[in-house]
Amino acid sequence: MTQAAPVVDCAACDKAIDCCEFCDRPGCPAAICYRCLGVALGQAAPGLHDHGG
Amino acid sequence: MGFTQVYDYVAGKLDWLAAGGPIEGTGAGRPRAGEVARGDVPTCALDEHLGEVQGRVRAAGWDACVVVNQERVVLGLLRAKELEGDPASRIEAAMRPGPSTFRPHVPIAEMAHRMVEHDLENAPITTSDGRLVGLLRRADAVRTAHELHQAEGDSS
Repeated sequence: MTQAAPVVDCAACDKAIDCCEFCDRPGCPAAICYRCLGVALGQAAPGLHDHGG
Repeated sequence: MGFTQVYDYVAGKLDWLAAGGPIEGTGAGRPRAGEVARGDVPTCALDEHLGEVQGRVRAAGWDACVVVNQERVVLGLLRAKELEGDPASRIEAAMRPGPSTFRPHVPIAEMAHRMVEHDLENAPITTSDGRLVGLLRRADAVRTAHELHQAEGDSS
């Protein structure tokens, strides 16, 4: 039997994630997802606008 | 415009920054994670035993060790808690696998702020292909960010 992964919401975009990408803790109160962390730290470019403008 | 040697870095600006390439412009002189990270952090291999590593790490005055392969690609991390494990266990079983890693160009103030917010004692700094640059200790990050803040306050 597999155990369900704990879920926490990204503090920046509300996406449900297994654990915080910054500190790897499942119960982090300031959890952040991979995408938001990359953009916040300048490690990744922000996504393009949906409207294309 | 007078440029005689021009290159197109196909992988892009972010990859250049992440590899620790030289930069110019506003903020180029500000300290970044790669400069503050300790390159002399102890390292070990997957097939070692925790007992050997514990002695080496303590002798070097550290409470953390980065697990790397032969190319110095980060595979795992032994923080203080993992280093207290059974000396007979293999590093592969004792380590925290696949830790979050950060690129050398991340501003130190940003890392310091987040390390305090997340209560993170240290963070591995790697190039974008995973090679170890060093281990960033929270105390070093906070001190450098504080010094930067003071210097910028003095100059304004």
